[in-house]
Amino acid sequence: MRILIVEDDAEAGAAMVRGLSDAGHAVTHAADGKLGLTAASEGPFDVLVVDRMTPNMDGLTMVETLRRQGDQTPVLFLSALGEIEDRVTGLKAGGDDYLVKPYAFAELIARVEALARRRETGSVQTLLRVGDLEMDLIGRMVRREGKEIDLQPREFQLLEYLMRNAGQSVTRTMLLEKVWEYHFDPQTNVIDVHVSRLRSKIDKGFEKAMLQTVRGAGYRLDA
Amino acid sequence: MRLPSIFRTTPFRLTLLFLALFAGAASAFLAYIYGVTALEVTRIADASITREVQSLEGAYGIGGREGLKRAMVERTQGDRPFLYLLQDPSGHRLWGTLPHGSIARFDDRNTDMVRFSVTRPGLNGGVNRELARGMRQKLTGGETLFVGQDVTEAEAYVFRIDRALGMAGALVVVLGLVGGIIVSRNVNRSVAGLNAVVAAVQGGDLRARVQLRGARDEFEELAVGLNDMLDRLEHSIGGLRHAGDAIAHDLRSPLTRLRTRLEMAILDVEAGKGDPKAALAQALEDADGVLRTFVAVLAIARLQAAGSAPDQAAFDTGQLAADIAELYEPLCEERDLDFKAELSPALQARGNREFIAQALANILDNAVKYTPAGGAVMLRTRRRSSGEVEFSVTDTGPGVPDGQRERVVQRFVRLENSRNQPGAGLGLSLVAAVAEAHGGRLELDEGPGKIGEMGPGLRVALVLPRAA
Repeated sequence: MRILIVEDDAEAGAAMVRGLSDAGHAVTHAADGKLGLTAASEGPFDVLVVDRMTPNMDGLTMVETLRRQGDQTPVLFLSALGEIEDRVTGLKAGGDDYLVKPYAFAELIARVEALARRRETGSVQTLLRVGDLEMDLIGRMVRREGKEIDLQPREFQLLEYLMRNAGQSVTRTMLLEKVWEYHFDPQTNVIDVHVSRLRSKIDKGFEKAMLQTVRGAGYRLDA
Repeated sequence: MRLPSIFRTTPFRLTLLFLALFAGAASAFLAYIYGVTALEVTRIADASITREVQSLEGAYGIGGREGLKRAMVERTQGDRPFLYLLQDPSGHRLWGTLPHGSIARFDDRNTDMVRFSVTRPGLNGGVNRELARGMRQKLTGGETLFVGQDVTEAEAYVFRIDRALGMAGALVVVLGLVGGIIVSRNVNRSVAGLNAVVAAVQGGDLRARVQLRGARDEFEELAVGLNDMLDRLEHSIGGLRHAGDAIAHDLRSPLTRLRTRLEMAILDVEAGKGDPKAALAQALEDADGVLRTFVAVLAIARLQAAGSAPDQAAFDTGQLAADIAELYEPLCEERDLDFKAELSPALQARGNREFIAQALANILDNAVKYTPAGGAVMLRTRRRSSGEVEFSVTDTGPGVPDGQRERVVQRFVRLENSRNQPGAGLGLSLVAAVAEAHGGRLELDEGPGKIGEMGPGLRVALVLPRAA
C-alpha cells in the first residue's frame, strides 16, 4: 500500500514512516502542506495521512484543494484538536477519518488500513463474504457454513464493520466510533463485552475461531 | 484656537446645527411678520391721506381757494387731525397747520408719499419731533396742497414689534446655546463614565464597571450592557485562567508518578533485577493514563470556561438513553448485574447529545465498577413535576456516605474503597461540568437502601432544565 504522510514534526513523521513501513507499506513523507499537495498530485497513493496544522499550507486547505481537483484518495486527519467541532470541520473539508493526537500506533495503522480497504471494496455491496461467513445486507441475514445466525441489530452492525475490514485489526475506539458513533473513551470494557457476545454467536460450535483478539490493538476477523 | 472641550462634543455640535436651522427659520418667519405689519401700517396711512386729498380737491372744485381753506379749517377740529399746507403757485404759504419749510424736500417731480418730520415746540420748552407722512397735490388753479398725517404712533408700534422680534431672536440664540451646553454636559457626563471604564479595561483592569445612576435612559442601558459584557468576559477569562492552573496541577502528579516509575525501572534494570520490557509496558500504560486524564481535564475545563455546551439541539431523551443502555446492558450481564432501563417516552430535552451521552456513560461506568456481582443497576429518564428532565442511574453498590457526596464530584477525589478500581476520579466531575454547561445540575442520593449485604446504593441524577 502506498501512503503519503504530511506532517511537519520531524520526529513524529519519522516514527510514522518507520511504523507504517514495518507494517509493510510504501511511505512517502512531506514536511508541509505545499510539499504534500505536490506529492499527492504526483501520486497515486492509497491513503493520505495529513496533519491538520502544517506550515505553508495547513492540512485542511491542502485536502480541500485536492478534493476540488477531483482527487478522492482517502484522507486520515491527525490533529491535536479533539473537540467535536474540530472533528466535524475536518470531515467537512474532505477528510474520511479523524485521529486525535496523541494516539497509539496500533490505532494509526488500523485506521490507515481500514481506509485503504474501504476504497478497495467500494461501498455498494449487498453481500459480504469472509471465509464461510456470509452477510446479506438486504435480507439482513447472516449465515456461517449455511447455518443462519440470529443477531441483534447492533451485533449485525458490529459484524458488518468487522467483515468489511476482515483480515485487519480494528481498535475498540474505531468500533465505538463507527458502530455506536460515540467519540468518548469509556472507563469500562463495554466494547469487549459486545465483541465477546458476537464471538459466542459466530464462533461457538464451529471449528475455527474467526473473531480474534489482537493484543494491544483490538480485534480482527479472519477468514 | 482650542475650544473648551464641551464645545467639541457631538451633542453641542448638533445643538449648534439645530440652533442655526431654527434661527434661520425663525428669522424668515419674523421678517415676514415684520414686513406685513409695517407695510400694513403705511398702507392704511397712505389710503386715508389719499382719501383726504381727494375730498379737499372736491371742496376746492366747489368753493375755490376759499372753499378749500374753510374745509381745511373745519377739519382741523377732529380727533386726529391731518396736517395741511396750502401754497400759492409761486410757493408761498397761504394757510396750513404745518410750518413752512418742513416739506422743503419736495420738488415738482415728487408727487408721491413722502416721509418727513415736524418739529413743534414741546410742553416744557423742549422740542417735539413728530414723524409724519404726506402727499402733495397740484390743484387746477396752480396752488399746491399738501396733506400729511402724524404717524409717530404707528411708527412706534412698528418699532416695538421690530424690537420684540429682535429680542425674541436673541433669546432663541441664548436659550439654544444654554440648552446645548446643558445637554452636552449631561451626555458628556454619561459618556465620560463609559469611556473611563473602557479605558480602564483597555489598561487591563477587568474589574472596572460603570457606575449606574438609576436613570432609565439609553446610556443606562448601554452601561448595563457594558457591565454585563464585562462580567461575562471576566468570568470566562477567570475560567480559562483557573482551567490552566487546574490542568497544570492535575497533570503534575501523574507525570511525576510516571517519571518516578521510569527512574525506578532504570535502577532495577541496572541492578539486573527488572525486566526492561515489562517496565516499558508499564510506563506506556502510565502515559496512557496521563493522556486520559489530560483529555478529561481539558474537556471539563473547556466546558467550565465556555459556560455553555456547544451545538445544543433538541433531542429525544428516551432514544439517547436507550442507545447508552444498549451499550452497557451486556457489560452488566457479564458482571452479573441486573440491568433495567425505565425510559419515559416522548420526553424531549435540549443539549449537546455527545456530552450528555458521555455523562451517562460515565455514571454507568461508575455504577458497574462499584456494584458487586448480584446487584442491580437501573437507568431511568423522567420528567419531574418541576418540568425538569432527569436522567438517573441507581445502583445497589456501597453508595457514598452523606458527608462525602459533595466531595466525590470534585476533581480527583476517590473514596478509600475505590482505590483498587481503575479511573482517575474525573468521571463525576465531568458529569457535573456537563450538567452545569446545560444549565442543569448533578444530584447524588442514597440508593434503594440496605438489602442484605448490599446497599445502601447510590442514585446519581443528571438534571436538565425544562426545555423552553
